Amino acid sequence: MTTYKFLNVIEKCIDCGGCFAICKDQNKVPEGTARMRVVTINEGKPGEKNIPISCMHCTDPPCVAACPTKALSKREDGIVMTDKSKCIGCGYCGWACPFGAPQYPHDLPENLKKLGLEGIMDKCTLCVQPFVPEEVDREPKPRCALFCATKARLGGDIAEILPVYNEAKVRSTISYQEHV
Amino acid sequence: MATRANSIGSCTDFRMSRRTFTKLTALGTAAALSGIGNVGAYPTKFVDNLIEPASAAPAVPGIDLVKSNCSHCALGCGFLGRVEDGVCTGIEPWVENPINRGAMCSKGTSIAEMLNSETRLKEPMKKVGGKWVKISWNEALDEIANKMKEIKTTYGPDSIMYIGSAKVTNEECYLFRKFAAFNGTNNVDHQARICHSTTVAGMANTWSYGAMTNSWNDMRNSGLIFFCGENAAESHPVSMQHILEAKRRGAKFIVADPRFTKSAALADQYVQFRPGTDIPLILGICHEIIKNDWHNKDFIEKRTYGFEQFKEVVDKYPPEVVEDITWVPADTIRQLAYDWAHPPREGRPACICWAMGATQHTVGTNNIRVFACLSALMGYVGRPGGGCNAFRGHDNVQGATDMCVLSHWLPSYYGLDEGSWKHWIGVWNEHAPITFEEMKAKFAEYNGKLLMHVNGLTVSRWYEGVLDPSVKQPNPVKMVFVWGHSLNSISEMKKMKTALEEVELLVGVDPHATIASSLADRPDGIIILPASTVFEKAGSVSNSARQVQWRNKLVEPLFDSKPDMEIMKELADRLGFGAHFTYDSPEDVLREINRGACVIMMRESPERLKRQQEYCCAFSCEDCQAKSGPVKGEYWGLPWPCWNDEHPGTPLLYRNDIPVSEGGNEFRTRFRGADSTPGNPVSDDGVSMLGAAYGYPEGYDEMNCDGTPGSGWKFELDCDWKDVIAQNKCPSGAGKARFRAWNLPDPVPVHREPIESPRPDLVDKYPTYDDVEDHYRVKCLYKTIQQERKNLVNDYPLILTTGRQVEHMGGGAETRSCHYLVELQPEMYAEINPETAMGLGVKHWDYIWVETLRGRCKVRAYVTERVNDKTVFMPYHWAGWFEGVSYENRWPSGTGELALGDSCNIITVDGYDRSTNMQETKACLCKVYPV
Repeated sequence: MTTYKFLNVIEKCIDCGGCFAICKDQNKVPEGTARMRVVTINEGKPGEKNIPISCMHCTDPPCVAACPTKALSKREDGIVMTDKSKCIGCGYCGWACPFGAPQYPHDLPENLKKLGLEGIMDKCTLCVQPFVPEEVDREPKPRCALFCATKARLGGDIAEILPVYNEAKVRSTISYQEHV
Repeated sequence: MATRANSIGSCTDFRMSRRTFTKLTALGTAAALSGIGNVGAYPTKFVDNLIEPASAAPAVPGIDLVKSNCSHCALGCGFLGRVEDGVCTGIEPWVENPINRGAMCSKGTSIAEMLNSETRLKEPMKKVGGKWVKISWNEALDEIANKMKEIKTTYGPDSIMYIGSAKVTNEECYLFRKFAAFNGTNNVDHQARICHSTTVAGMANTWSYGAMTNSWNDMRNSGLIFFCGENAAESHPVSMQHILEAKRRGAKFIVADPRFTKSAALADQYVQFRPGTDIPLILGICHEIIKNDWHNKDFIEKRTYGFEQFKEVVDKYPPEVVEDITWVPADTIRQLAYDWAHPPREGRPACICWAMGATQHTVGTNNIRVFACLSALMGYVGRPGGGCNAFRGHDNVQGATDMCVLSHWLPSYYGLDEGSWKHWIGVWNEHAPITFEEMKAKFAEYNGKLLMHVNGLTVSRWYEGVLDPSVKQPNPVKMVFVWGHSLNSISEMKKMKTALEEVELLVGVDPHATIASSLADRPDGIIILPASTVFEKAGSVSNSARQVQWRNKLVEPLFDSKPDMEIMKELADRLGFGAHFTYDSPEDVLREINRGACVIMMRESPERLKRQQEYCCAFSCEDCQAKSGPVKGEYWGLPWPCWNDEHPGTPLLYRNDIPVSEGGNEFRTRFRGADSTPGNPVSDDGVSMLGAAYGYPEGYDEMNCDGTPGSGWKFELDCDWKDVIAQNKCPSGAGKARFRAWNLPDPVPVHREPIESPRPDLVDKYPTYDDVEDHYRVKCLYKTIQQERKNLVNDYPLILTTGRQVEHMGGGAETRSCHYLVELQPEMYAEINPETAMGLGVKHWDYIWVETLRGRCKVRAYVTERVNDKTVFMPYHWAGWFEGVSYENRWPSGTGELALGDSCNIITVDGYDRSTNMQETKACLCKVYPV
């Protein structure tokens, strides 16, 4: 049984913004909000790290537990989906999520406001559903992982990507400064 | 009808199973799992046993996935354009392209957004009475052509400056150089001048060719990767895929840079050094290597010249002396020397990589020369994992350089002498009639010299051609074409703005209006033409590794834009030589280039390039060689020299442990002192310049088609060299690399302080050059201004250096018109250290002024420890403000970029490389204060 996950080899992330941009392009995410972003810690000094952050499609999602309208659900293949028609934008999922993945886009352009999307929670869906929801789910194909410049971001079936992740973490990707 | 807004491609639009897809995301790291030489499950299956060509055949009718290459940097990352009903609605990863395996950075992933950008210039416009009006193509072209004729008649052909582009196809670059020639001038130049001109001069004068010796993928084979003035995490992001893979395999990655860059964050060691002191740093390393006897004496003796003279200079730079100059502790220099001489991964060489950090200095050519000497010292050139890796900038700057859109060369690095002109006229005459006498008649004379044989103005100082009455040509420049070149990447912007306001006509040709339309504050005299992007036409592009790829046309020209080739033809028709610019297809132009570009032997035919693209799945990402299928044995992109239709390309220059037929290569016998004769090239002090070669320990000179010694290989159009190559000989000879380049102002690189130095004592000890009266037709001051400004540090205490942001490219007109990239980097800033900020009472993101002798910029303060308390850093991609005042009202309505900011090149220094005229943007003095 496929279980979709993301794993990030953060020592290889160069903060190139490719994941941010292709996610926007593919899913038509409007200006001012993002499903995928890179957070930098210790900027400018030894120990500087870049961490790609998006919904991690948790095994036991706190957001699903927190949602009062059952707008959030987890598919059999692991992807956590939002039914935007049920979302009331209360923000509970944002509180619950340890990654800060849920976004509540405001000041949307008129055409998106008219669709009732103002303030409604949006997050990564593994490219299954774009920003404006569609009738039929697409095939999961996370572009952020496919386009990652240094293959730092891994996405797909956990059985496949975990060995790759482990191999990458074991050798030489920890920068020298960390040993100091 | 599919549009960008409503269509993001169907779920089955590219054939890939779920399992395959997940493996693909892991490609970079899967190599170790699959064993050496393999690159992961999916590619291996095809690479070793080609079953069928990888094709982008869509599962859904009406959706095409068209192979192309990114238009930003010189990696040349492949991608698939998703085209529905003639509209490019997005992009998909081209996973079989061996260079990037589907990966891209934020700029590349924004291609569809940029291609369809609403702020693109949509139709020709003219500034009249202070307003922009739309005009028809015919009207625009008629007016431009008539003005050209008028200028030529009144002032002479050199009064038109042709600023060309690194962002058009090879075919268009070639035609642009030809266009300038047919218009009777050598005043044609492009971005390479301000980017890697010093690389070309430095490398060519050491090794014989001026290009990157190895390749992006080849860095996986390295034992030690040394960045000196390179920030690949921001300027060449996908190259980090290969570098980090080398690191994962045990290589050491060292970054030397004034700033703790994003690349330094991933390095094993970071070395901070003072801007402008690359030469003493490297010479200090060489000093230790020679002192400890670690250098490769065999290689030095057999394949190099001038080591003794080099050693004499090196003796003056022991680590203690170098420490005082560079900020780098003597012990670190000793350790770097040890590491360079003993890279990890036993037996593998080290490579040195650089970009603008090293090139943009008054001593830029010397910087590159000293890097090459460091490599030669250990014999690391010509080996997998070694070499000198110049990371070139724009997507086709290598191609534009190869096609010599440059004021001192003809295409393929021929000079401006009579023999070179006759060579190209011979080729051009095959297309449409033209004789040497006819061409000669187009050119003017000055001071008794025919300007046909004299270097023209450069893009770095073209405005002096307008403003300086002592310019060495009959009359100043009166008209300028800004054809695919940004203006805020050129320094001395105040002077340039004045020049733009003084010319009689300014013609901008670009997909965007750019500041060619808005920088000049004038009521009229500007015409801007909408050029198509590279995705709206087909053509070839050469990346930094000399790999040539064929871009397919994704969509028809958008709005009312025209491809550059078409615009040139329209102008040529009106100027009376249209036949020379009329070709059935871009493929035909490439075939003409294949014919005449003998110095680099650029014989990559359109057919072979397209076939490689079709069989891309056969190419390994370890060495970019095809392991199966009809392309077996070929190297991706057929890197030049590609001697004939069977040659696999030369992926590693100067590698001579394999025969030429397999991609081997020798140092050209290019360096010839006055006493040289055919068969016997000697240095200016009588030393033989023949070097040990594959199969010929005594070496051999360059040859004619019949094998006799001579320079015929550069001029013989119909020779396929198969006989010569069958004897394992390289037609361009087998010579020596040079530690000492006798023809350069500094035969061996020595330290010279930047024009504006924070160390008056070192200005005395290591002064810059004497002033030059005629440096590409204009006067160039060195010593005078350095002396005047010797104590400038008392008033301008901080060092200003400039560089890149990953989200923006070049002048930024294109990237700052893209919503996603502007979200990531919305405003111009200057990086200052927290200590500096505290001293000024400035908080992060406050507005500050950064001021130099040239002027000042109003920018946000980015308070960070990336820079130390002696340095300020500014990215250069910004325009739209001039000394704090916005000029956004000067753009035609709706064409201005989404994000504007002040341009750091208003304030960078007026210093230029001694050999190439490259501007010194990486080191000058500034002061900072709150607004």
